[in-house]
Amino acid sequence: MTPEQRFADYMAAFNRGDEAALRHYYADDVRLVIGNGRELLGPKAIIDFYRGVKAKTQRTIEIVQCFTDGEWLAAELESEFLAIADAPDFASGPMRRGDRLYINSFVLYESRDDRYARIRAAVFKREWRRAQSP
Amino acid sequence: MSTSEVLRGWFEAYLEAFNGGDFDGFGSYYADDVIFQGQAAQVVGRTTVLDFYREVKRRLDERLELLTFVGAPAVGRLAVEMRTTLIARQDWLELSTGPIRAGERRQSVNFIFYDIADGRFTRIRSARFSPLPGIRP
Repeated sequence: MTPEQRFADYMAAFNRGDEAALRHYYADDVRLVIGNGRELLGPKAIIDFYRGVKAKTQRTIEIVQCFTDGEWLAAELESEFLAIADAPDFASGPMRRGDRLYINSFVLYESRDDRYARIRAAVFKREWRRAQSP
Repeated sequence: MSTSEVLRGWFEAYLEAFNGGDFDGFGSYYADDVIFQGQAAQVVGRTTVLDFYREVKRRLDERLELLTFVGAPAVGRLAVEMRTTLIARQDWLELSTGPIRAGERRQSVNFIFYDIADGRFTRIRSARFSPLPGIRP
């Protein structure tokens, strides 16, 4: 399996919320810095955080491109969040039910022993699409 | 030497030319119709990119430092983590990333993706990496 294929499998597990599978992709001391600058330490923190995100939003991450030269994998990702409930504490800013947020991000993954040990995201483009007021 | 290492050497020569103010040197890396989506400018075309950088280098000392390199020559892509250091030689209050005053030093870390075709950059896109204060990047 190539690193790119492995990454696609990881993203598929992420999208279907397969927490048991996700744990196998992370090093025990994984550090993830998400697009708004917040850091999540360890697999549990990452999984707990995104469980909370999924409770308030629908989201599927699409891999626009990814490539690697060994230790590092670079990925360009697109996703759109749809708020299925009011989310005043949403990481990128408050969302009301029906709001959409499009994010295009650049992410660097550092692997160690075939697990992601450091993941850092930078937002290239962020577009809010607010729900129409009733 | 792997093809990725060759690509890295090619890219490092670009940085050396950029940091040295060698406009012919780093300009040769841009395709005629390069799409440039940087932090302070979004323009198209080598001439326009170089005009932008002439304006920048007239007012600021800008230095790029390569922190991480991910090269995939087979697909014509590379991604970098780059530290940019700006030192203003004069006030530039209209700078699109925020006014800067003479003597002020500003640093940022950016993730930059490059598309490459026929030995030139056809698209350059930069995203600011902004960990919250106190986070070890």
